[in-house]
Amino acid sequence: MNWFTNLFARHWRNVHLTVISLLTIILIVGQSTVNPFLRQITVGTFYAPFATVKNAFLEYRSVAAENRNLREKLVETSTTLAMYEEAARENVRLRSVLGFEPPAGYSLIPAEIVSVSGEYIPMSAVINKGSSDSLRVDQPVINQQGLIGRISSVSANNAVVQLLTDPSNRVAARIAESREMGIIKYSAGSGMMLDNFPIGGDIKVGDLLLSSGLGGVYPSGLKVGTVEEVELPEHEVFAKIMVTPAVNFYSIDELFILKEAGQ
Amino acid sequence: MIRLIPYLLYLWIVGMHQVFLSDVTSIYGVSINLPALMVLLVAIYKSEITALWFAFVVGAVAYAGLPQVMGWHVLILVVLAMAVFHFRERINMESLKAKLLLVAGGIVLDNIAVLVLSRSDGFLMLLLTKGLPGVVYTALIAWLFFLFKEGRITLSKIKAIF
Repeated sequence: MNWFTNLFARHWRNVHLTVISLLTIILIVGQSTVNPFLRQITVGTFYAPFATVKNAFLEYRSVAAENRNLREKLVETSTTLAMYEEAARENVRLRSVLGFEPPAGYSLIPAEIVSVSGEYIPMSAVINKGSSDSLRVDQPVINQQGLIGRISSVSANNAVVQLLTDPSNRVAARIAESREMGIIKYSAGSGMMLDNFPIGGDIKVGDLLLSSGLGGVYPSGLKVGTVEEVELPEHEVFAKIMVTPAVNFYSIDELFILKEAGQ
Repeated sequence: MIRLIPYLLYLWIVGMHQVFLSDVTSIYGVSINLPALMVLLVAIYKSEITALWFAFVVGAVAYAGLPQVMGWHVLILVVLAMAVFHFRERINMESLKAKLLLVAGGIVLDNIAVLVLSRSDGFLMLLLTKGLPGVVYTALIAWLFFLFKEGRITLSKIKAIF
């Protein structure tokens, strides 16, 4: 045994060389048997951890790129959707305008609002039509909901509309059913109201108020609002009547100027 | 067993190189021949038996993806390790140029062998466009390694430059 150990120690290098040579020959000869097995071990031990990291990185990169693309598409789609929604709203508005008829003896000049001014509620609006479109001061302005106001000043291509919400703007009105009359005015504190209506007058909540045609600015029959609340204070001559405007002054978009025939 | 840990780390570096470092560090398709470089460096600095076994295992790891030629690559790396070990006994290993020439010569032989084994058309063209530039690239890395190992470049010196 000792003899064998000595022999092994003396030929240590040759033993290693022989083993390595034999293993190399086995690898060369055993291409289809040994090598796939060895491949499995080496790939699993020395490649797999880095392959996992590489795949995770590549996946992260592709997900990041996909995320970026999707964000861009989302912005595009949101913009397109907003445009479609606006087009749909315009479509609804224009459809409701389509069957809109002016009062007898008047024609309609369509216009759009350029800007609105007023502190708490819109009180005047600039429109995109002017004297070049036959607009004159005091022409009534309406939309499909009802009376909006009147033209207060005109330039060549623009005009200013004084809305009913301006406290200095008054409209002579009458109740559609009872035909009794009063004056519509607006005050910043209490909103739109029917003034100068006697206590004993025939009025109830929900009554429709139309322009009476008196005063010479607004033609008769234009919808102004509906009676919201009726108060009959004792020892007073006139009733206190709150009115809900027919027009939503916060959402006016298209409007029409009433042009009298022959103007 | 603890003595094997550095060699296992070297093998993992080879694995990392094969998986993605090769792609990341390649310039116009010219890449570093890291398996051969590591075998040559081990053959320069370690014992013959260590170099031979390391060459054998590096060959098996680096060419695991090509089982049909794995044995031949192992043979080439083992022969290269043995040759370099015997050369180092006969030349002045204190000289940086001698070590670089030894490494460059070994890489040239390995790159030629790799091209021969791949049996691809246009051997000469591939040798000129990939093989020899690969030798220069690998020798450059070896040069930096030797400079670091001999202390001619240190981190403090690099910091001093900036």
